Amino acid sequence: MDELLTVFVTESREQLAALEAALLQLEAASGDADTLHAIFRAAHTIKGGAGVIECDYIVAFTHVVENVLDQLRNGDIAVSAELIALLLACGDHIGLLLGEFEIRRVHPTAELQLAGDALLARLQRDARTAPPGLPPAGASSATQPSLGQDMIESECWHISLRFERHVLKNGMDPLSFLHYLGTLGTIVHLETVADAMPPADQMDAEACYLGFEIRFASCADKTTIERVFEFVRDDCTLHILPPDSRLADYIDLLQSLPEDTMRLGEILVRIGALTQAELDDGLLMQQPPMAGAAPPDVVPLGEILVQQQVVQPKLVEAAIIRQARVSDKKTAEARLIRIQADKLDRLIDLVGELVIASASVSLLASRSGRAELLEASSLMMRLVESTRDSALQLRMVQIGETFSRFNRIVRDVSKELGKDIELVITGGETELDKSVVEKIGDPLIHLVRNAIDHGIEPTARRTAAGKPPRGRLELNASHDSGSIVITVSDDGGGLNRDKIVAKATERGLLQPGHNLSEAEIDNLIFEPGFSTADHVSSLSGRGVGMDVVKRNIQSLRGHVDVRSAPGAGTRFSIRLPLTMAIIDGFLVGTGQANYVVPLDMVVECLELSPQTSDNHYLNLRGEVLPFIRLHELFNLPGKRPARENVVVVRTGAQKVGIVVDQLLGEFQTVIKPLGHLFQSLRGIGGSTILGSGEVALILDVPALVAIATRRESREAASTPAT
Amino acid sequence: MKTIFLVDDSATILLSVSNILAKAGYAVAKAGNAGEALSQFQAGIKSDLLITDLNMPGMNGIELIQHVRKLPNYRFMPILFLTTESQQSKKAEAKAAGASGWIVKPASADDLLNTIKLVMR
Repeated sequence: MDELLTVFVTESREQLAALEAALLQLEAASGDADTLHAIFRAAHTIKGGAGVIECDYIVAFTHVVENVLDQLRNGDIAVSAELIALLLACGDHIGLLLGEFEIRRVHPTAELQLAGDALLARLQRDARTAPPGLPPAGASSATQPSLGQDMIESECWHISLRFERHVLKNGMDPLSFLHYLGTLGTIVHLETVADAMPPADQMDAEACYLGFEIRFASCADKTTIERVFEFVRDDCTLHILPPDSRLADYIDLLQSLPEDTMRLGEILVRIGALTQAELDDGLLMQQPPMAGAAPPDVVPLGEILVQQQVVQPKLVEAAIIRQARVSDKKTAEARLIRIQADKLDRLIDLVGELVIASASVSLLASRSGRAELLEASSLMMRLVESTRDSALQLRMVQIGETFSRFNRIVRDVSKELGKDIELVITGGETELDKSVVEKIGDPLIHLVRNAIDHGIEPTARRTAAGKPPRGRLELNASHDSGSIVITVSDDGGGLNRDKIVAKATERGLLQPGHNLSEAEIDNLIFEPGFSTADHVSSLSGRGVGMDVVKRNIQSLRGHVDVRSAPGAGTRFSIRLPLTMAIIDGFLVGTGQANYVVPLDMVVECLELSPQTSDNHYLNLRGEVLPFIRLHELFNLPGKRPARENVVVVRTGAQKVGIVVDQLLGEFQTVIKPLGHLFQSLRGIGGSTILGSGEVALILDVPALVAIATRRESREAASTPAT
Repeated sequence: MKTIFLVDDSATILLSVSNILAKAGYAVAKAGNAGEALSQFQAGIKSDLLITDLNMPGMNGIELIQHVRKLPNYRFMPILFLTTESQQSKKAEAKAAGASGWIVKPASADDLLNTIKLVMR
């Protein structure tokens, strides 16, 4: 039972997100019918779910909302900004009610109840809603006029029959069909159509010139009625149109069909509104008259069937809607399986252990030197690698969902501040580890709010500066050498460097007279207790924020960086590792110890020529490449070997060489976090266990690059002085 | 009383069908092969409906239908043939030869009688 409740809450929250997204879309572009349907469907699903789990207060509230949405969908009421704002508020309220439900409240708090009543009152006033419980006004009670309406009464089948001339020749008598038809029901009215009858002198006494229009009352189904005419099916033109009173039955049947993907014809045949023979005829007619006719000329089957007067247009419509819904659901079902995150985490843990265990097997195999064993173990390694990749892939989710939350945040915050801001989201399909996605939300909210509050100027100042009045905020995600890079950029005023330096000096973060590069000044904003905003708004500027952002990102083994151009805008880039669990590593040895470089960051390996001087540069095909000696960096004991190797690594645009003793090759690395004691270590990101049981340290490449480039610029600055 | 002429090479079918027909109040004439049936029709036997099997040794059912249909007395007599679901192509062939309709084997007594009722004047 608990599982059902959890599923309900999860599903409803998803539906609420969809509702909100669609409402915003509606607001932005006065959306099409699909958007309206999506909105209605979301509310409807929540109500349905709430009904099943018997949460009355959610049902009651959602019911009224659904009524209004239904009217909106039917075009009975118009879309307005106020109505959307109200509906958004209603969505929020449903979210709150779900919260109540989650903590198993039988009734919502009095306060919430009052708020809900107020919303409903506004909704009913604004939308002139019918009171809950009554069917919405303007519901489809009027029957649509259908073909041949003037000839049929609602309770009767309408059978239209025209015989071919030669029908009598095979010993068939049209009258016998009519007699037989009489055994299935009552022929209410029969009109003989003799318009094909020639003058008496031209008449062939053995030919049949007659046709019949029959009103037929019967509870037989369409197939049975059609079967009466089976023997003359090819010798007559036959249209059997079901009575209108059947329409409701057919539509009911339509709803109860199993949710299989079916063609339109199949659906209609299945519910008995169409017979197989009628379908075959219709399909035959659909074929282009000549081979090679252009495909766009093909008339939809539904239209043909209506033209042929074998089904009512309304029914075709209903069947098409049903068809679309099933296929929507199918694709959604095919894409998603819900499972508990714990189970996945357990799987990933086990795969991690498997990787370590298989490394040790492969080590033993290579020591034994037995060819078959080596072969078997290498096959196993390959499989373990694929298993690892697939398992990790399971935890990868698209960042788009996290991003789309910002539509609402940007809308609300910019309204509050009276700024006009457009949010542009790109790269929403970029995937990263679920655990990372969960933790990146808060830092991103900080950055986005900051950009709206401090970054983008008020409209007046923008126009004065010759910028478009509407501010632009961009959220982007992309992959870059084994990391994901998320950028938040605005086209605002940029960071005020003078102010930052002044503030930093005032706070004692910077010694007076100390020269910093522009990038270093910009990055000062991440220092604890730093804020340049003159006034404190409700959104940001309390001096906590940027340092928290940086800490949060660092705890994800990520880095944040800011670049700014005065007057043109600010760009924050967050660089995060793709996964927190297992990576492909490159194993190197220096001194007595082994180190792992994440393979995605390795560009190439080369031998360090002995002539290279000790000034930490080398010439890489004409390029200056700064390098770091692990020996020096970690103060390793022992002499440097005669031959050293350089691993060239890259993060972002920056390339750096890491000088090591030996290159040991690729290695699947299960990341084990360092204990608290070691977390302040610079240049080490984690540890792992080798097949031999030894521990290897994982190098934090971006940190190493930062060390190398900082030293480079310091040396560059100090060189002229010496 | 209507007379139905029944042609089938299977004695079992001849017997069972004619029992059903007799019980339903029809007079039944029967033949075990097409040649024998044709000579009876050529001799002008009274018949309101012909029911024939298609696959028979010697003259087959389609040939029989063709010949009978050409006899002046039987130009408008309904003719049914016995067929199975798998023999869809035979239907067109038999209709072209002059058959009025068909009975799908195996047929229940009700189906059989309903079909007969349908085509019988």
